[in-house]
Amino acid sequence: MSFIDATAATINPRARRRRLLRKRFLRRPLAVVGLVVSLTFVLAAILAPVIAPYSAGATDFNALLAHSSRHHLLGTDELGRDVFSRILWGARASIEAGVLATGLAMAVAVPIGIVAGYYRGWVDAVIARLTDVLLAFPFLIVAVGLAAILGPSLTNATIALGVGAAPALIRVARGEALALREEDYVRAAVANGASDVRILARHVLPNMLSTLIVQATVAIPAAIIGEAVLSFLGLGVQPPTPSWGVMLADAQSYLSQAPRLAVYPGIAIFLCSLSFNLLGDGLRDILDPRTTR
Amino acid sequence: MGGFLLRKAGAALIVVFCSSLVVFAGARALPGGPAEALGGENRDPSVVAAIKHAYGLDKPLPVQYVKWIGHALRGDLGLDARQLPVAHTIVTRIPITLELAFLAVLIGTVLGVVAGVIAAVRRGKLSDHAATASALVGLSVPHFWLGLMMIIAFAVDLHWLPAGGYVSFGAHPIQNLEHMVMPAVVLGTGLSAVLMRQTRSAMLTSLGADYVRTARAKGLSEWSVIGKHALRNSLITVTTVVGLQLGALISGAVITEQIFVIPGFGRLTLEAIDQRDYTLLQGVVLVAATGYVVVNLLVDVVYSLLNPRIRVSGSVTP
Repeated sequence: MSFIDATAATINPRARRRRLLRKRFLRRPLAVVGLVVSLTFVLAAILAPVIAPYSAGATDFNALLAHSSRHHLLGTDELGRDVFSRILWGARASIEAGVLATGLAMAVAVPIGIVAGYYRGWVDAVIARLTDVLLAFPFLIVAVGLAAILGPSLTNATIALGVGAAPALIRVARGEALALREEDYVRAAVANGASDVRILARHVLPNMLSTLIVQATVAIPAAIIGEAVLSFLGLGVQPPTPSWGVMLADAQSYLSQAPRLAVYPGIAIFLCSLSFNLLGDGLRDILDPRTTR
Repeated sequence: MGGFLLRKAGAALIVVFCSSLVVFAGARALPGGPAEALGGENRDPSVVAAIKHAYGLDKPLPVQYVKWIGHALRGDLGLDARQLPVAHTIVTRIPITLELAFLAVLIGTVLGVVAGVIAAVRRGKLSDHAATASALVGLSVPHFWLGLMMIIAFAVDLHWLPAGGYVSFGAHPIQNLEHMVMPAVVLGTGLSAVLMRQTRSAMLTSLGADYVRTARAKGLSEWSVIGKHALRNSLITVTTVVGLQLGALISGAVITEQIFVIPGFGRLTLEAIDQRDYTLLQGVVLVAATGYVVVNLLVDVVYSLLNPRIRVSGSVTP
């Protein structure tokens, strides 16, 4: 640590807070493991074309339902496709759905929640009722309906997952805005004549960021599992595009012959969502003042 | 209390009304439309027009809505593609899913609450860590995959349980339970993981509260302190969580029934999609949404009975 760094850190409270958070985070081995594993999955998804030994659709008719070997790390499926490669390729659909659905939910929910919580009154009442209506439709029913209207695809599954995750996020954002509007610095900004947009963007939103980050790490694994469910049911990714859910659906016909086909994609889903959950738990511990004592 | 219930029931009615609008609009947004679907292969415009006229589909949308909702209120959800009454099909499928959901909630609540209480009472000990870790695993594991793994283990390898299918309880109680064990466990694990976490944190809060200290100071047994004082207050949280998990339970039932080939309400939903049977789908979604709202209303009632303060402030969300 150089001299300049140290003074900068003590003078700049934001840098000091960041350093403190990093130190607290590194003290949680499970959270670090979560971060490393989830990043590995993200990298696997991005680099699948480079690191996968075979392309997703490559068939090897000399090795149908083969056990793991030097050529096929995790064996092959009923069409002789390399399971390990397909799991790497399948990470793309999962990560894409997880991240985009969560991003969509945030983009929809946060502005709505902030407006409801900040303005209260009839706006709040109307939004609360609309949220109740949205909540009355379980996400799978929404997804099923969307698949019926727009046709099944990864994009539509992602939209359904995002819409399904939005109501809960609206409630969180509303609750935060409700609390933040009473803060002294918000009142000071109002007294200074700042515009509503400026107050919401500069004072309310940045102060609920840590809560939103934690919510995102909870929403991502839920969306990853959701994508697997939808693809499994034939409402998401369409074969032959690889996805963990599609692989499980295919494996269903070979449960007695080759149960391993059902084991590996499931383990991938499990590890991926577990890593995000571990990361989320760690972030909640260090960011949420209510749980850090 | 009466006023509180009236307000809640009023809000629920509004939600059901809005949901019915969404369902109605959604069904009109479907490609092809009901008349074309009923016409089947016959796309002759005059035939389609005749069908539209026969079913009142050429009337303005508000008129159609009033007619549809009027019939729905009298329990008539129309005829599906096979000309069977939708309401009757739904009524025959619902008990199967209710049994599955009941068993799942039973398993989930017992496992979750017991594990949560143990974890909170023995905070920081091995049993706490074990329970917390299992909850994390339970939250991260895809339940339909757990179902596949259970089929491989208990049906394919060990031959202990049937891999799928359904036998009604009235026909053969033992076989019914044999068929329901795995699906109920699969559906219950997710709930138990969520409940365990909530129970643990609620118990930790109430174990640190003044009334628990008072109870201890009075010399009450530890059993009575935990069971009567701490747990009773924590149950408020548990009730809310069960209510909030209902949506997840419905979604879970759809996929669980699909894996274990159980002819319940969830499978009916997928069948409606598969066959593009819009009348059926419309009925199924309306019933699901209404059921969800009604159960949430019940949760609010139970909640207000457990926590008298709510009745005064009139709001459940803290």
